[in-house]
Amino acid sequence: MALELAILGWAGVLAVVQLVLMAVPANLQLGSAYLVTARDEQRQLSGVPARLKRAYDNHIEGLVMFAVAALVVSVSGRSTGFTQGCAVAYLAARVVYIPLYAYGIPYVRSAVWAVGFFATLLMLLAVLL
Amino acid sequence: MGTEIGILALYGLFVIVVILLQVLAALPQVGLVALASARDTMAPLTGVAARLDRAQLNCVIGLALFAPAAIAVQMLGLSTGATVLAGQIFLIARLVYVVVYAAGIPWLRTLAWTASILATAYLYIVAMGGAAAA
Repeated sequence: MALELAILGWAGVLAVVQLVLMAVPANLQLGSAYLVTARDEQRQLSGVPARLKRAYDNHIEGLVMFAVAALVVSVSGRSTGFTQGCAVAYLAARVVYIPLYAYGIPYVRSAVWAVGFFATLLMLLAVLL
Repeated sequence: MGTEIGILALYGLFVIVVILLQVLAALPQVGLVALASARDTMAPLTGVAARLDRAQLNCVIGLALFAPAAIAVQMLGLSTGATVLAGQIFLIARLVYVVVYAAGIPWLRTLAWTASILATAYLYIVAMGGAAAA
């Protein structure tokens, strides 16, 4: 198995961990009695649970693109040390992104987001160019 | 490299570009300080920045749907001229979708979205037919 696919698997695990990390404080804040309903009345999260929700949503979006990049690299047999390095950088950035968001550390979070984003971009470019 | 996978890679690249454009559109509207913050109290986007935000979200959903179908068709060896054409229609429809969304043109956007979803559905039908035959 290409390293990119193993990293993709771990990125999937990270998304599940993030879901739990977001759902537990969300349940504490909004109450499980509300969350089990159809949520017709919109209640907004605030504070750290809201940040963890935004971090989770952002990873789901990033994961869709990274999954495509990892699968395209792997299926087309274009895995190199460079694309593997990009995949490792993606996962590392995504892990670091979570506490940076939760603690509300500005700029560094944006920079770390950019690492994951451009790692994905470079993997796709490595296949296409 | 097979063509459906090539189209998938191109579309992934396109989605990344759309996200970059969205950030660039949001930047002058809310400012770098707000974007870099934890966004606890960020004002909602408006105008083209908001449209690109919605278009970007829709593009990511489209990517999540298109990717399994394209990979399945390729890996099951079901690629034909028709499936490649479906992939090309998907890609062009998605390009049109974003431009038309940003410009705020009604109906044509819906039409482009529909073309992209039908092209994706076609790939799933081909993949399921091939998987059933295998």
